[in-house]
Amino acid sequence: MMALPEKIDLETWDARHAGLRRAGLTEPWYGGPLGRHAADGDERLRALRFDNAPASLRLWNLVLTEEDRLQEHRDQGKRLVGAMKDLGAVPLLAFAAPELVCFYPDGAWWTPCIMECTDGLLNVADRLGIDDTFCPVRAMLGAFETQRHFPIPDLLTCSTGTACDDFTAIARTLERLGHPILWWEIPHRRTPGPGEESVTLPTGFTAPRAQLTFVKAGLERLCAAFGELAGHPITTGGLHRSILTANRVRALAEELWRLVACATPCPLPALEMLLVDVLPVHFCSDPAETQATLQELVAEVRRRVAAGAGVLAPDAVGVYWVNPVADLRVMNLVEECGARIVGADFMFAHARAEVPVDIEPLEAVAQIALGDPMAGTAQDRARRIGREIARCRAEGLVVSRIPGASHCASEGGVIRDEIARRFPHLPVTEIEVPPVADACFPTLRTRIEAVVEIARERRNHALRRH
Amino acid sequence: MLCAGIDAGSRCIKVLLFDTRAERVVCAGYAGQGVPQRELAHTLYHDLLRDAGLDAAAVRAIVATGYGRARIDFADTTITEITCHARGVRHHLPDVRTIVEVGGQDSKLMRLNGTGDVRDFVMNDRCAAGTGRFIEVVAERLGVTLDEMGALAGQSRAPARISSTCVVFAETEIVGLLASGAAPPDIVAGVLRAISNRVGAMAGRTVDAPVAFTGGVAMIPGMQGFLEESLGAAVIVPAEPQMTGALGAALLAATLHPREEAGPRA
Repeated sequence: MMALPEKIDLETWDARHAGLRRAGLTEPWYGGPLGRHAADGDERLRALRFDNAPASLRLWNLVLTEEDRLQEHRDQGKRLVGAMKDLGAVPLLAFAAPELVCFYPDGAWWTPCIMECTDGLLNVADRLGIDDTFCPVRAMLGAFETQRHFPIPDLLTCSTGTACDDFTAIARTLERLGHPILWWEIPHRRTPGPGEESVTLPTGFTAPRAQLTFVKAGLERLCAAFGELAGHPITTGGLHRSILTANRVRALAEELWRLVACATPCPLPALEMLLVDVLPVHFCSDPAETQATLQELVAEVRRRVAAGAGVLAPDAVGVYWVNPVADLRVMNLVEECGARIVGADFMFAHARAEVPVDIEPLEAVAQIALGDPMAGTAQDRARRIGREIARCRAEGLVVSRIPGASHCASEGGVIRDEIARRFPHLPVTEIEVPPVADACFPTLRTRIEAVVEIARERRNHALRRH
Repeated sequence: MLCAGIDAGSRCIKVLLFDTRAERVVCAGYAGQGVPQRELAHTLYHDLLRDAGLDAAAVRAIVATGYGRARIDFADTTITEITCHARGVRHHLPDVRTIVEVGGQDSKLMRLNGTGDVRDFVMNDRCAAGTGRFIEVVAERLGVTLDEMGALAGQSRAPARISSTCVVFAETEIVGLLASGAAPPDIVAGVLRAISNRVGAMAGRTVDAPVAFTGGVAMIPGMQGFLEESLGAAVIVPAEPQMTGALGAALLAATLHPREEAGPRA
């Protein structure tokens, strides 16, 4: 059942799914209508508009069934590693042992949005003294307390050091509640001093060799702990295989961004691209399925690009987006305002960078960890965003603040100043998105529409000039 | 050609009719805000037409702006208040490079380029401390009208220091100031200065002059001076500053149907 690309609501998707099934659609075990997740409590899905491709349905189903998958892994005797904060490095180590599965409890930060706060996770965090002056990732505390959203991991790790003081405070509260954490540190990345050996990282930053050695030592400790958990040491061969798998996923995600940024009309909506960007971080606890899902999406997008088909008006204004949104509905809103996302640093952009394969695996993972744009100064991150804006030819920039997130307190101004210096006429706006943002929508809309209006006026001005 | 601009703000709805051929405002009016924004705007619009002896069919295009613009379903299109204020100011003051707009719910600072288009903007809507709502709360607490606020501030000898950035806590501070015997003029002046300082903070390190001050709060005597002090630059208040957004919307409506021979809207 071929259909032109469009964005559809949940009810329409369910009807379409029934038709696709009758027409012979085959799905993996976690497939099925999206509506079943809403019936299970994921109420926010009813407010969203989704891409209508079967490949996108598979993406949603993969993401929304992670809890089932984790439980199944545990039932099969696998050991669960809960990685926190680093976003993309620890899974490279854990998946080196076939007995281990790695996931991010941090992912619970979307639960209050998806369940429209019926989960009560933020209330639990409030009662634990972690109130809304902290990042919404505090929902993770509630998930540990209620034990309803993921199985309690056999081993917990958390990176600390350079960024996100609020996250560290949340993780310390978790530890106080009786969940031991294996801490490791990513130091504040600095420019190598005169005479210091310098290393260029996969994300383009440079760091002193000494810092890389320090991070690598922390990862060695993790590897030792993972080896104990798996019942055998983590081998170089296992790490190498894990990195190769990760690189295949990373390359697919990067390819999707390249296709989406370059094509007109936009072939895949922002909401699905946000989901795509999460996958290289942790593979939704199943690297093979993640790879297959992304391959199907890439094929779909290639078909659309070849056919000149897309989901948005051809004149949509291309914006670059910074930071993830706590309310997924905002990804729809940006497109309703006449924009399209042509590039993003959702805070896991480093998980799309290829992990070096020509060096010792632990050093490669250390490079990825230290190369996290958040591990350096806000100016470092801003300059990288500037380079990305130039690369994807964005016409506007939206910096989305995460309420309570310590890194968001001042980075917006730094990013704005850097972009204003480099692109004096590029409209920039800062927004703040709480987990359920319905009440803020008029003001969010005004800011995003203003960016679109200014960018369109610039476009018209350029056309008049020529 | 007649065009209409409707500014559905958070505290007040403004409607303005503009004759593009005669280059003049035909009529304008405002109504206090309520929940049914669409109905309020519709009634105000048709009352203005009736009072001016005009037929709705004579209006070629309507643009709605402001916080509630999406509810004005009889408008041809919606445009943000950022673009509309810039257009409205450009009509009166074409050389302006910075606009400060303080409305009931939020405050904005817009930087314009040489052609009067918006180059950049910043907004404050995280709390009421930099907005007209702050002044309303204070006026209610002191038992004075908004019109009296400016005159009161003019009598101040030593403006009080309002340290809180939250309007609710600021109200508590005001209660404390009153209890400690602070004079109402000093409290009012302190509040106006606090709002100006918040707006000034949005401007960052540099402000491009000339600066225009629009929105309902610009009508309060004394605010202009406090804003000048805060920005470190001369500030111009255009005529009818609360109507600037509606004026800009009407002028932009004219660009929807630029040819005079275009037929009237249905």
